[in-house]
Amino acid sequence: MKLALRELLRRPGRFAVATAILALIALLLMVLGGLLDGLVAGSTGALRAQRGQLIVYSSASQESLVRSRITPAVRQVIEKTVGVGRVAGLGSVQLGARIEGHGPRDLVPVVLFGYELAPRGLPDAVPAAGRVYADRSLQSEGVRQGSTVLLGPARTPVEVVGFLGDSRYSLQGTLWGSLQTWRSVLAANRPGERAGAGVDQALVVRIGAVDSSTQAHAIDRATNGATKTLTIPQAINALPGVAQQQTVFNQIIGITVLIAVVVVGLFFALITVERVGLYGVLKAVGASSGILFAGVLLQALVVTLIASAIGVAASLALDAAIPAGSIPFVATPARLLTSTAYLVFAALLGCAFSLRRVLRVDPAAAIGGEQ
Amino acid sequence: MFLALREIRRAKLRFGLLVAAVALLVFLILTQQALQNGLITSFVGAIRRQSAPVLVFAVDGQRTLQGSVITPRLEKSIDGVRGVAEAGRIGQGTFTVVVGRGGRSNAALVGYEKSQLGGPDRLSAGRMPSAAGEAVGSASDFALGDRVRVVGPGEGPVLRVVGLADDAQIQVTPTLFVSWPDYVAAARAVNPDAATVPPSVIGVRPAAGVTAAALAGRINGASEEADALTRRQAAEKAPGVAAVRSSFNLIFLLFALVVPLVAGLFFLIITLQKARALTLLRAIGAPAGALVRSLLVQVVIIIGGGIVLGTLLYVPLSQAKLGKLSLSFDLRAVVFWAVLLLVLGLASAMVAARRVLAIDPVEATTGGGAR
Repeated sequence: MKLALRELLRRPGRFAVATAILALIALLLMVLGGLLDGLVAGSTGALRAQRGQLIVYSSASQESLVRSRITPAVRQVIEKTVGVGRVAGLGSVQLGARIEGHGPRDLVPVVLFGYELAPRGLPDAVPAAGRVYADRSLQSEGVRQGSTVLLGPARTPVEVVGFLGDSRYSLQGTLWGSLQTWRSVLAANRPGERAGAGVDQALVVRIGAVDSSTQAHAIDRATNGATKTLTIPQAINALPGVAQQQTVFNQIIGITVLIAVVVVGLFFALITVERVGLYGVLKAVGASSGILFAGVLLQALVVTLIASAIGVAASLALDAAIPAGSIPFVATPARLLTSTAYLVFAALLGCAFSLRRVLRVDPAAAIGGEQ
Repeated sequence: MFLALREIRRAKLRFGLLVAAVALLVFLILTQQALQNGLITSFVGAIRRQSAPVLVFAVDGQRTLQGSVITPRLEKSIDGVRGVAEAGRIGQGTFTVVVGRGGRSNAALVGYEKSQLGGPDRLSAGRMPSAAGEAVGSASDFALGDRVRVVGPGEGPVLRVVGLADDAQIQVTPTLFVSWPDYVAAARAVNPDAATVPPSVIGVRPAAGVTAAALAGRINGASEEADALTRRQAAEKAPGVAAVRSSFNLIFLLFALVVPLVAGLFFLIITLQKARALTLLRAIGAPAGALVRSLLVQVVIIIGGGIVLGTLLYVPLSQAKLGKLSLSFDLRAVVFWAVLLLVLGLASAMVAARRVLAIDPVEATTGGGAR
């Protein structure tokens, strides 16, 4: 073991190229993971922030918030369903926002949500008409407490009274106001999507101790199939592209790990071939195959950890350097650790290819000269 | 040449592993290239496929068809711009539909007032609609004769697919081009509360002697509310397209670095291992150029083999459909990456080639070649 570490210290150049390649692969894994996390976080924050367990859409909407319409009559039925606690309306509209300091054509895309049940991070009381809370990501666009933001072609003014975090939706910053604010903004700016009196796009439902899925079925039965009720995780997965993005990115990450296995395997197989004579001598003086292979594993581990550290540093630098809103990339500790774990696994697996060769080394060859 | 081939034959596993690694990398690069192309085409295919040379969005629409709402005032100001030969309304929305006797699914409707200003510019099968209730569908999602019913609280139109257009999706959704009255009927069916159904954009044809770009500039100059773009600009500047390109370019850059580094590392190690034999060859008269050529032949064979194998893996995948995303074989991408990786691979082998050129034949007599 000491010998393996000493070789790393004495001849770092021998391992430099492998470290560089693994660092690139580490960065690749972290970038792929960071892009996935950024895409998912930016698309799902508004749903993750909900404090109910269920979301009710109209059944004809295909679980699309924009297309969903829940009438007051349907809402009444849901409110009377056994097991249902609080029922709260939810509405959304995507608009361009004119923010002070921006040019006349420099609009910021935002999603205005109307709510009754305050999402995580907001006080229980719904703000008065014309007042909204803003997602913190909008601060990078110049939105401040007290700012007046003009929404849509009708330039409907809303005043920002505070902020909340991690509530982005469709990769856009969000504004949170009352259902009344939402209805008036929608009617003024999207006459084709106007919501009638008492009509909501969806309902956020709090339930008792009942299982969420069972309660969701109970609601849909009570409304005679007029609704489609989903748990929050189901609603997140039903967002366009979220599940597909996760599948595709995870497949790419899987193949990248496979490439890391091949690269490590290749590198240490070659290193082992180079050392066959040395291993013969070491075995001749009493070193076991286990000790020799442990040395190879240790070197692989050290090289991988150094490469991962470089990857982590580069990912954090990338995260800091990427301008807000350009590429949906976030470097989270969980993702960086997971990527490092994948790489360590790939390195150890790749090293296993060298095990056979280490086991086959004949100590007698060290005396005979040729292996 | 002879030595290069013989060495590969004698060390099949070693060279095979490298070919496998390069093939996996090439496969990943081409797969992601196909994903990028497929994503962009599915995002904005309908914009590229529609026939209006200039599209005028409302500046609030942020260059998305669905987000743009043209007010009567803006529509009037577009009509009055010098150089406008013809203008027509175009609307776009996503609807819940039932195709034939199937279940509910999503479909985007692109409604056009004039077929030469918003209708599909080219069909892959069938004919253009000539009566109410007829539609052209995206070829990857619909078949000729399909009957598509729009689902909503109100009575929605039933559309019959009479034509098909390739690469005609929008927002990664099956897309139907329909007449303006059918589009309005669909919008009213899903939202009876809709006060009016305004157009999303105005398609404009420039008068003789006026270019599309010049007309777009004039329209933008005439109204601060207008965001006129040529057809190409509308596709390229759609939100999401630039982000998709930037994200993939970052990944491509990392992959483009990994391939030559892996190949370079491999050949450097191989050269170091063969140092003794190469020194001997030089001592018995083999010219350095011949040894370098032999090395480069191996590089070409290995990288070339990896490219061929990676491309063969990519062929079946490129014919597949990932969810709603249609992939396609992109010959230009294959050629581009093959040339780039071959050049980078050869460049990376220069380090190993320099080692070969630095061999001093005299060392064969001193044992220095083994160092």
